Amino acid sequence: MSNRRKQDIPTYYDLPALNTPHWDWRVSAYIFAAGLGGGTQLLAALGELLPRREGQSISRKGRYISLLSALVSAPLLIWDLKTPRRWYNMMRIFRITSPMSFGSYLLTGFGAFSAMTALGQWTADRGSRLGDRLARLAQWPATLFGAGMSCYTGALLSATSNPLWAAAPRLLAARLAASALATGAATLSLGETLSGRRRNSSRLEGIAALATSASLFLSLWSSRLYRRKGVHEAMEEQDIAAREKAALLVGHGVPLACYALARLSGRRSDTLSIIASLSTIAGGYMTRDAMLKGGLRSSRRPRDYFYIAGRGRD
Amino acid sequence: MTNHPRAQGESRSILAGPFDAEAETTAGVRIEPGKNYGFFTDTTLCIGCKACEVACKEWNALPSEEGKLSGHSYDNTGGLGAHTWRHVAFVEKSGPEGVRAPEQQPYQSSWLMMSDVCKHCSPAPCLEACPTGALFRTEFDTVVVQQDICNGCGYCVPACPFGVIDVSADDGKAHKCTLCYDRLRAGQEPACAKACPTDSIQFGEVEELEQRASDRVDGLHRQGVENAYLYGARGSPGATGGLERLNAFFLLTDDPEVYNLPLRPSRPASRAAPSLAAGLATAAGLMAAAAFLFTRGHDHE
Ligand code: SF4
Repeated sequence: MSNRRKQDIPTYYDLPALNTPHWDWRVSAYIFAAGLGGGTQLLAALGELLPRREGQSISRKGRYISLLSALVSAPLLIWDLKTPRRWYNMMRIFRITSPMSFGSYLLTGFGAFSAMTALGQWTADRGSRLGDRLARLAQWPATLFGAGMSCYTGALLSATSNPLWAAAPRLLAARLAASALATGAATLSLGETLSGRRRNSSRLEGIAALATSASLFLSLWSSRLYRRKGVHEAMEEQDIAAREKAALLVGHGVPLACYALARLSGRRSDTLSIIASLSTIAGGYMTRDAMLKGGLRSSRRPRDYFYIAGRGRD
Repeated sequence: MTNHPRAQGESRSILAGPFDAEAETTAGVRIEPGKNYGFFTDTTLCIGCKACEVACKEWNALPSEEGKLSGHSYDNTGGLGAHTWRHVAFVEKSGPEGVRAPEQQPYQSSWLMMSDVCKHCSPAPCLEACPTGALFRTEFDTVVVQQDICNGCGYCVPACPFGVIDVSADDGKAHKCTLCYDRLRAGQEPACAKACPTDSIQFGEVEELEQRASDRVDGLHRQGVENAYLYGARGSPGATGGLERLNAFFLLTDDPEVYNLPLRPSRPASRAAPSLAAGLATAAGLMAAAAFLFTRGHDHE
């Protein structure tokens, strides 16, 4: 009875029914850096599975890059606050219902354990056995926090009243996790190529290709779901659609084409590998920026909200 | 402070001082910590005078809006925000093709006015989203932002299902209706309810207001206003999807969307766990696949 065709839902002078947060590129960059750091920390853990020297090369880079991204994401998050000098109030309470709250603790834990793995690695590289043990011990919690960092931002966006972000909570986090592993693997693969470890680079490319394909599949799936839930029109507004298309092309199309080309030619090409990596990384940011901007637009469209809040089919 | 010339000779109040429990006189309510207070806004009584908007601005010393004419009937405010905690909506309905229908329904059904406000939801999505504890539930079961704690992360803004709370560009903190927390503590009725000349805004204990409101709906139904219903009271539209009730609720006579309200809002926090779980599962699945790729790689060597 309450179902209604979207265009038949009344609005109040087409004014937005929701307020729009002030979030800008800094939030996109934070979500990107958090995912990349989480992804590299996960892969650092997998280094254990490889023959010692090769595995260590991946773990080493993974640990350093994770720490670096934690060091980049924390200031981004603080810089985005409207009263940044009070950033430490985030640590005043712990609130399980708020991904912004538990995310702050995820970031803190991730930063602390990444620092430990990186410190252990750094001393191990200078011959300390103790350092190696510290790095491997801290790797366990760092990996768990890394997994959280790779995708909790999906919960952050979907635990809102925003029509677009709230329409597909599971898919949103899954997309972010897949993209986090893709960008992490691409970054490490780039590092291995540049340091001449081609076999490692190719291994990481395999993971990047897998994660990028998963991410592509999940993106297409969520587009369908958005359409079914009637919130897709925000993503179809011209500028947002352009961002989304560019993100698909740069983040998924180009790298997958590069991998396919290298496969077909039967030879490894450093150039193709580097292009694929850089493209995956750039696309990872663009994907998140399109998600963020699409959501901001969606909150200004009252019918999208009214449709998902009671007038749609589900 | 010196008195205005016209007030010379009138400088002393005839009252001995402030009332102890003023709300008992003005609203018939004794305000005590531990009880639940809220608003019942009966839109069939609203005459669109905006006394509530003005009283709210004055009492809370909120910055004024930029003076612009919106062209949306008599509503030049637009909506609730950091500096607007009461907002009167105006809906002019005409007959087909913009021509006024010759037969009008009773009780303002062709000109709707509604004074919107923070719903002081239970549970409150803004509060559940707040990472600093700046937003808290008071001893009067209302939801208030502590200005000395908010750091302007803005997460409460998309959390609110009703477009109420917003971060002010002036001071970088989130603001919204406090249900006149300061007045309640002084035993006074909130400014908007006290200023409302028609009792369209009624302040009181939520349970009692809900009773009064359902009686009012029955009365209106008997008088032929069949489309009257409650929005936000327990079990009615607005109190849906994990929002048990809105402490500030409404009597409406048209679809909620006409007043810029969603039919079935939901509690955003309930989406966090499924989202996180799906993300972690995806990461775990891809990790397993990656581990397979890694080990396969060196078994072949
Ligand atoms: S209406 Fe919005 S601002 Fe008011 S209590 Fe509910 S969620 Fe918070």
